[in-house]
Amino acid sequence: MQYLLLCCFNEDRWQKIPESERNRIMQEYGEFQQNLAASGRYRAGAKLGSSATATTLREQAGKPVITDGPFAETKEQLGGYHLVDCADLDEAIAIARRIPTLRAGGAVEVRPVEFGHRE
Amino acid sequence: MKFLCLICAEKVMEQMPEADAAAHFDEYLEFTAAIRDSGHFAGCNRLLPPASAVTVRVRDGKLSTTDGPYAETKEQLGGYYVIDARDLNEAIRVAARIPGARLGCVEVRPVAEDATTLRALGLPGAAAHP
Repeated sequence: MQYLLLCCFNEDRWQKIPESERNRIMQEYGEFQQNLAASGRYRAGAKLGSSATATTLREQAGKPVITDGPFAETKEQLGGYHLVDCADLDEAIAIARRIPTLRAGGAVEVRPVEFGHRE
Repeated sequence: MKFLCLICAEKVMEQMPEADAAAHFDEYLEFTAAIRDSGHFAGCNRLLPPASAVTVRVRDGKLSTTDGPYAETKEQLGGYYVIDARDLNEAIRVAARIPGARLGCVEVRPVAEDATTLRALGLPGAAAHP
């Protein structure tokens, strides 16, 4: 079973963390990701540009409507994701538990994937 | 450049009449084949409904889990594509063809591919989908 781990964080709060501390957290991310890759459970992942760089498309009466910003204003913003292979939800939560976002005060949403492509 | 296209709608496949969902799946089949042919495709997945989500937080070293997505929103994340595009304009043109754009919306976000991010995440080059 594949799970998508959505890493969410309040961007204002992230910017207030001293740069050296942010670099340390990102370093922990690297270690987490390498361990996950070594365990064979890692499928894909990425860090995203800030939510200010997002563009949202909708369609009204057959015409595209394009707005700047994410699809929803939320307290925490999506900052990146990991796609992992797990036996079950418990294992996915155990992996999510190790994501550095959490110690820094963020949240990780764990969602099962309906069908996964394998490149 | 890589872009993440988040597909969000008020109704996910499981909440649609069966015939509508079947027709929508066919549209996705066609769209996905087209962007594979055009070289824009880098990855995709459909997620199970938001009710199946669990959100994990850690406070004072303690794990807490809550059922449901990290934020209650009118439109819910249902799936995503990762696409390769020359720039935001090209990404928007591709995203506009995602069948979900007609029912809900598609959020297009650039993937961070700066040297610091790639080094920190241990990613070789710009490969978001190894």
